[in-house]
Amino acid sequence: MKNNTETKNAITVNGVFKQFSIPHEKTNTLKGVFINIFRKNIYEKFYALKDVSFEVKKGEFFGILGRNGSGKSTLLKILAGVYTANKGSVEIDGLVSPFLELGIGFNPELSGRDNIYLNATVLGLCKKEIDAKFDSIVAFSELERFIDQKVKNYSSGMNVRLAFSVAIHANREILLMDEVLAVGDSNFQSKCLREFARYKEMGKTVILVTHDIGTVQRYCDRAMLLRNGEVAKIGTAEEVGNEYIYQNMSDEERRIEDERRKIKVKQII
Amino acid sequence: MTKKHENYRELVIRLAKTDFKLRYHNSVLGYVWVILKPLLMFTILNFVFSSIFNFRNSGTPYYPLELLTALLLFQFFSEATMTGLTSLVSKAQLVTKIYVPRWTIVLGSTMNALFIFGMNLIVLALFFLFYHKIPTLSGIAMFVTYSILLYILAVTFSFLTAPLFVRFRDLSTIWEVLLSVLMYASPIIYPLAMMPVKYQYIILLNPLAFIINFAKQGLINNSFSGTLHVVLLVLCIICAAVISFFVFRKYEKTVAELI
Repeated sequence: MKNNTETKNAITVNGVFKQFSIPHEKTNTLKGVFINIFRKNIYEKFYALKDVSFEVKKGEFFGILGRNGSGKSTLLKILAGVYTANKGSVEIDGLVSPFLELGIGFNPELSGRDNIYLNATVLGLCKKEIDAKFDSIVAFSELERFIDQKVKNYSSGMNVRLAFSVAIHANREILLMDEVLAVGDSNFQSKCLREFARYKEMGKTVILVTHDIGTVQRYCDRAMLLRNGEVAKIGTAEEVGNEYIYQNMSDEERRIEDERRKIKVKQII
Repeated sequence: MTKKHENYRELVIRLAKTDFKLRYHNSVLGYVWVILKPLLMFTILNFVFSSIFNFRNSGTPYYPLELLTALLLFQFFSEATMTGLTSLVSKAQLVTKIYVPRWTIVLGSTMNALFIFGMNLIVLALFFLFYHKIPTLSGIAMFVTYSILLYILAVTFSFLTAPLFVRFRDLSTIWEVLLSVLMYASPIIYPLAMMPVKYQYIILLNPLAFIINFAKQGLINNSFSGTLHVVLLVLCIICAAVISFFVFRKYEKTVAELI
């Protein structure tokens, strides 16, 4: 990997499988376990990711597209280190600042201020750095008036704004962004995208998971399309976006076709 | 996979501070409870066992001091293990939404009990002054040593059970019951000397009872256990720590999926 002429990979994912067991009856108690010793374990194996491989270069803005349940979030969680892959290897060069599932571990009982300190520490900043960046974090989230209020009283938009603001101030090399733009209003969205662009200029890597093809096509260098846990396409953002549109349309066509057929069958019966 | 995090120390302390802040955050008396709670427990137990059962006249002149010392140690242990046991589940948002080394969560949770214990020691010192009892230097040294061992024991227990608690939520209830068993199985409310000698040995097999008994004996009566026993205790704790380390390593990987 130590090749100076080419840019290094920030993320190298090789043949990653992630399997979840879906129990038909969740055993969360000791009694349940004792009973299940005698009973055959009933669970279904479900692969959320099947043989996923891709590379992201340093300083790249990489989009991940896919429908609900295609494994995007699972993949991001593996990259963040929250999940461990069952098979395959994940190599990450640099520190990761994850932003998963609309927020980064905020404690609802704490004030916005305390949550900033908690989360920035979680992301590896020391107290001095947080003190120095505090005003900038608050300013970016536009929550000056509410900063001493408990986070449980925040709206979802406020929550995301604060979380995002902390995540980008963490100063890490790789940003993982899961549906950030879904909640914020358009002003905040464009602010986020400007911030991503600035990140790119600093040679940092951004991975953006979204449904919004427009954003991917406009801002991402390259993109990947996931479908049922498999890589359907990796390429330029333009191609992948078009492929996604095409897939969605053909899925929709198939659905309408199926419905029509059902109606026909009903009529015949 | 590279997962670097620069300052674990600051992270653990921040987590502990947050816990401490949240512990009594909606109560009127707030942090006063840290000191008030063991004092109330002490007052009740002292009243019952000093006046009714009269342990004071049966060879333990400093019964209230012994009771308070033992009680503080026990509450330290029970608080640390209880928060440690439930740490990963109660901080689920830190497990599922972000990557933090999981051991920092467990360690941070147990540290809260350490803060509380430290504050309670000030109260204990005041009680010693009130009873005009000055412990010897070696007594204090042994007390500190035993307190550290007790904390290591609690942390060991937490690392063993925290990832298991994610799977089996019964553990907290079971442990709650066991803690009350442990309380009566340790010489906290009764002096160990009250027991027949053969039972004393059985009681002292329990590391918690051993630590509590000799920590308070050293402090109050300046009497200590044999060196061999202490060495055995330390060895036991090291063995337990090694086992819990491997259990934790094995089970922490799947914690995020099961929470």
